[in-house]
Formats: sequence, C-alpha cells, structure tokens
Amino acid sequence: MSEQPPAPTVRRTNSGPGRILVAVYAVFALSASARAGVQLATKYAEAPLAYALSAVAAVVYIVATFTLARGTVASRKWATVAIVLELVGVLTVGTLSVFDAQAFPRATVWSTYGIGYAFVPLVLPVLGLLWLRRTRPAATVGA
Amino acid sequence: MIPVIAYTVLLLALVGTLWGLVTAIANKPPGAKQLIFAAAIELVTVVQSVIGLAKLVLGFRPVELATTIGYLVVIVILVPLAWFWANSERTRFSGVVLAIAALSVFGMTLRLITLWTPAAGS
Repeated sequence: MSEQPPAPTVRRTNSGPGRILVAVYAVFALSASARAGVQLATKYAEAPLAYALSAVAAVVYIVATFTLARGTVASRKWATVAIVLELVGVLTVGTLSVFDAQAFPRATVWSTYGIGYAFVPLVLPVLGLLWLRRTRPAATVGA
Repeated sequence: MIPVIAYTVLLLALVGTLWGLVTAIANKPPGAKQLIFAAAIELVTVVQSVIGLAKLVLGFRPVELATTIGYLVVIVILVPLAWFWANSERTRFSGVVLAIAALSVFGMTLRLITLWTPAAGS
C-alpha cells in the first residue's frame, strides 16, 4: 500500500452510487451527533457507558461522512478505519445490549444492532466496506 | 406541533421521497420542478420548526425537551444539505439523495408528533 497518485481510471468514493452512501452517512452523522449531545448534556449519569458510546458512534459517522465525501486516496484510508470501527461498534454494542441489558438501559444508535433505525446501522458499514473495495485505486476495471 | 402543518410536511416529504426514487429509476437527474418542490418541503419544515421553537420559548414543555429541540433544529438542515449534494454531481443518484432527505424529514416529523406531549404538570 504505497502512496501513489490516483490513476485516471480510479473511481472515487464520492461519485455515482457513492453519493447515496455519503447521504445516508450524513443523516446518521447528524442524528447520532444530536442524540449524543442531548444524552450527554441531560442524562449522562443514568447510563455513562451507553451515552459515551453514543458519542463515539457520532464521531465515527462524522469521520466516515467527510472522508467518503472527499474521495481522495488519503481520505479512503480514514474512511476504512472509521467504517471498520463502525462495524465493530455495532456488532459489539448490539451483542452486549442483547446479553447485558443492564449496561445499556437506554437505547443507543447501535443497541440491538440498530433496531431503532431499521437495522440500517448494521447494513451501512457492510455496504461502506464493499463500496471502498469496489472503488479501490488498484481495482481492475470491471471487477 | 400544529397538526395541519405537521401533516402537510408528512405529505410533501412523502411525495418528495417518491419523486426522487422515480427520477432515479427513470435514470434522470432531478428536474427544476422537483428542486422547487424540495424547496417547498424545506419552507414548510422551517415554518414548522419556527412555530415549534416559538411555542417552547413561550412556555410549552414536552416530556423530552432537549430531544424535541434537537429534532426541530436538525430537521431543517437536511433538505439544504441534500440540495447541495444532489446538485454538485447531477445524475440519477441525485434523486435518491433528495429522497433520503425527504424520507428523513418524514420520519423526524412523525417522531416530533409523538414528542409533542406535554410534560406532567406543565
């Protein structure tokens, strides 16, 4: 993985169907940020772990949104990091919230794998990683 | 919430969602009428938020005050962002971007209607 200028055929993460992905990420970045802000400001003491994770989720969505929207070779790497974190987060928090409801008495965006958002939080990182793979600079045309 | 305004937003947002999907399926970027329609959704959404926030200032207290404020503020950001994003690369996907914003406005308005419950004793 050396730093190389993008080849003319490189597909950017912010083009074509990537526009949709960025839009969905932006909606989640906005809603997760607002939600985390409200939770931390008004009732952090009720469930510190869950609400701290809400803030982490918000940051992850913000980073993913902006890096996918930039669509440069450098931003792809940060997008990958953010989306892998997102996938780990939704799987971890989802599983914990099912088996240890005590730790998550309040819903976060990732509780029960994002059931409160029609499981979009579970599907989104998978689509994000597939999209990064599809648009990777070294990808052969037609792959 | 003012029911008439909330239901108007719901109706406009639903039409906006479908319209965006239709142009995407037809493989066309959003047309002028569609963009004006998106502006209309935004206009009514702003009216709704201004009235909602004004009622809060005047003393109305819903059960979840902070959440309600968050919804009233975030809901007006969505369509302008989508408008910019849809127009900076005009393809069939622009319609989907507008549809996502409209669907979010729809969902958030539904939630605002349930949030708009007076707190006990207020």
